[in-house]
Amino acid sequence: MQPITRREFVKRTAVAGAMLTSIPAILEACSGSSPTTSNKPSKLTIAAVQGAEDGPLKKVAPMYQSQSGITMEIVEFPYDQLFEKLVTTFQANGSSYDLCMMDDPWMPKFGTMGALQPLDSNFGFTRDSDIPSIVYDVGTWPPPHGPVPPSEQGKSQHLYGITIVGNVEMFMYRKDLATTPPTSWDDVLANAQKFNKANFYGYVIRGKATNPASSDSLPILWSFGGDIFDTSWKVKLDSTESIDAITFLTQTLKKYAEPGAANIDAADRDRLIAIGQAFQSTTWPAEVTGVVEAQGVSQVVGKMGYIPIPKGPGGKGLGMMGNWLLGIPKGSKNGSAAADFIKWLIKTENMKTYVQNGGIPTRTSLLNDPTLGQNNPYFPALAQSLAAQPNWRPRTDQWNAVETIYGTAVNQAVAGLKTPKDALTGAATQIRTAMKQAGYPS
Amino acid sequence: MQAVRAGWRRLSRDERLAYLILLPALSAVFVIVTIPFVLVIIQSLSTEDGTFVGPLNYSRALANPLLYEAIRATGVYALIVLPIEILLGLSFALLVHRTVRRPGLRAAIYVLAILPLVVPPVAIGVVARLIYAPGYGVLNVLLERYVGVHQEINWLGDPTLAMLAVASVDIWQWTPFVYLVLFSGLQTVPRESVEAAQIDGANWWAQFRYIDLHYLRPLFILILFFRLADVLRVFDHVFILTGGGPGTSTQLLSLYMYRVEFKFFDTGQAAALAVVVLVSFSLLYTLIARVLPLERA
Repeated sequence: MQPITRREFVKRTAVAGAMLTSIPAILEACSGSSPTTSNKPSKLTIAAVQGAEDGPLKKVAPMYQSQSGITMEIVEFPYDQLFEKLVTTFQANGSSYDLCMMDDPWMPKFGTMGALQPLDSNFGFTRDSDIPSIVYDVGTWPPPHGPVPPSEQGKSQHLYGITIVGNVEMFMYRKDLATTPPTSWDDVLANAQKFNKANFYGYVIRGKATNPASSDSLPILWSFGGDIFDTSWKVKLDSTESIDAITFLTQTLKKYAEPGAANIDAADRDRLIAIGQAFQSTTWPAEVTGVVEAQGVSQVVGKMGYIPIPKGPGGKGLGMMGNWLLGIPKGSKNGSAAADFIKWLIKTENMKTYVQNGGIPTRTSLLNDPTLGQNNPYFPALAQSLAAQPNWRPRTDQWNAVETIYGTAVNQAVAGLKTPKDALTGAATQIRTAMKQAGYPS
Repeated sequence: MQAVRAGWRRLSRDERLAYLILLPALSAVFVIVTIPFVLVIIQSLSTEDGTFVGPLNYSRALANPLLYEAIRATGVYALIVLPIEILLGLSFALLVHRTVRRPGLRAAIYVLAILPLVVPPVAIGVVARLIYAPGYGVLNVLLERYVGVHQEINWLGDPTLAMLAVASVDIWQWTPFVYLVLFSGLQTVPRESVEAAQIDGANWWAQFRYIDLHYLRPLFILILFFRLADVLRVFDHVFILTGGGPGTSTQLLSLYMYRVEFKFFDTGQAAALAVVVLVSFSLLYTLIARVLPLERA
């Protein structure tokens, strides 16, 4: 072997070192780094909500992994933390997540931020006639109907999210005790009076402050003709209809409700229903599958009836959407692969597998499939609710603030700290101030 | 620059060395504390897009009635937890100090006292909810079974009881901290002083009043400083137990500021609130330090 000089040794070592240290950079360059690249990535990362909503997704993701060869990583966060995590990630245009689960009231915030990649223009998503149009509407920004935030008026509409959990708030009652389902809130009240007795509550109010109280009361508010905003963003929470609705819930129905309703959340409600201590309440699909109809957990399996939200004095019953969508963050470098995953997931045969693993479908054909309905007795009610064009929460990026104020006011009324009128009047004033500061008409 | 150099030269060699040794620590404080604080001040004077708005965020923050409800709730919370924790912690410390002589037993008590401090506040909140929850709360079950209270007590739905419930969790978790600090303080009391007092016929109260308290006084200030700061940071168990309700009756300052930032996404107002709270508490701490003697008399 030829001996080399020290200078030559240093030179060769430097060249070899430079080549070795360049390898990751070269590989990175080869893998492509621009957003929405069409190259196949080795991994897709999904930011998901922890709980019943992402359980079925976790079960079907390995199937896609084996078919596509792409590793599916699901990073879970509790509800509040997921929202905060996504907002901060979007603000930094981070590329940590290729897909994100989003509750539908978050869409205005993310739409206004311009945080997501358009699925229609970028990835060729089109509407499927088997999926109700409202499901596509809820993932579209600016909203196709209803008031549009001032800052978003005139912007072109795009589809930014595809629903993978077709949640709509419904109504449940003990069908083994009542011969006919309640069709109106008067019927609900009559049943509450009739069946209320010691240790068996005629109605369950989910009255914990902020989101729980807000979610529980909005369908009643709407069914009574009340609302938080009119069509031009004017606050109408202190209108007669709104006050009547909240008075009905927090005073009339409350007489037959469980004690401590001001601190009751969904899990507490499900417990009361599941141990056979309550007659009726509003409900979400995940509560039905997770607790109320869960074998070995619930004592009322097969005893509950599920119907769309009962009608109010005006003859309309309005359910509330609570869809969970999948979107692709703007910062994702794997947009095409992420879009392929969404397309795979909503194919009829894959969505059927997803439903068999506890998922909540959006396809009408699956909701009306009698074999799937056997294990999911609420599917017909959900299909009816979706077909009836349920309401969505006001499409404003200020929704979180509005919900906090409104949900606190309803909680005050449930707790008896304020009359419904005083609580709603105070909340209306606060919401007007918040909306005015955000650039909305006062 | 020349003035700095001249000033540096005027220092003795030891002083220069002292400043050099302090430099890394001061740099860390500058990076970790000073820079973020300056950024918060800038944020408090700007809109989300960075436009300078002067004191507007401060006036909005101070004009919001929810701020005063949060301050009131925090004040009530502090007035409940601080005296009870200090009295209970002091009682336990004196009891163990005077009655428990076996080192093994003292060590066991020490470990037991540490446990609540290392349990995550979220876990404590969940357990507390199992105790106080309407319908299935353990406390109501025990009250019914052993005390004969058949009417369910609405621990988390009544403003006064909800405040007591969240305060009780704090008391359970932080009384051991007070105990540990005061117990270690009692170990510093010279044995000769106690024995001399006993020979002079001093009873237990006189021993405490004229000897023990003398040594514990600076520790009370320390406890007060720490616990006041903790009260400002209380979040997890309140969030889990009541979510700030019923209404806003248990919405403490930390929960209120969290909502302004992460629910209202009003970063300007949240930053203004942070500055107001920081300045107010700095003033309060200065006042406490001046009024109460830090050094032993």
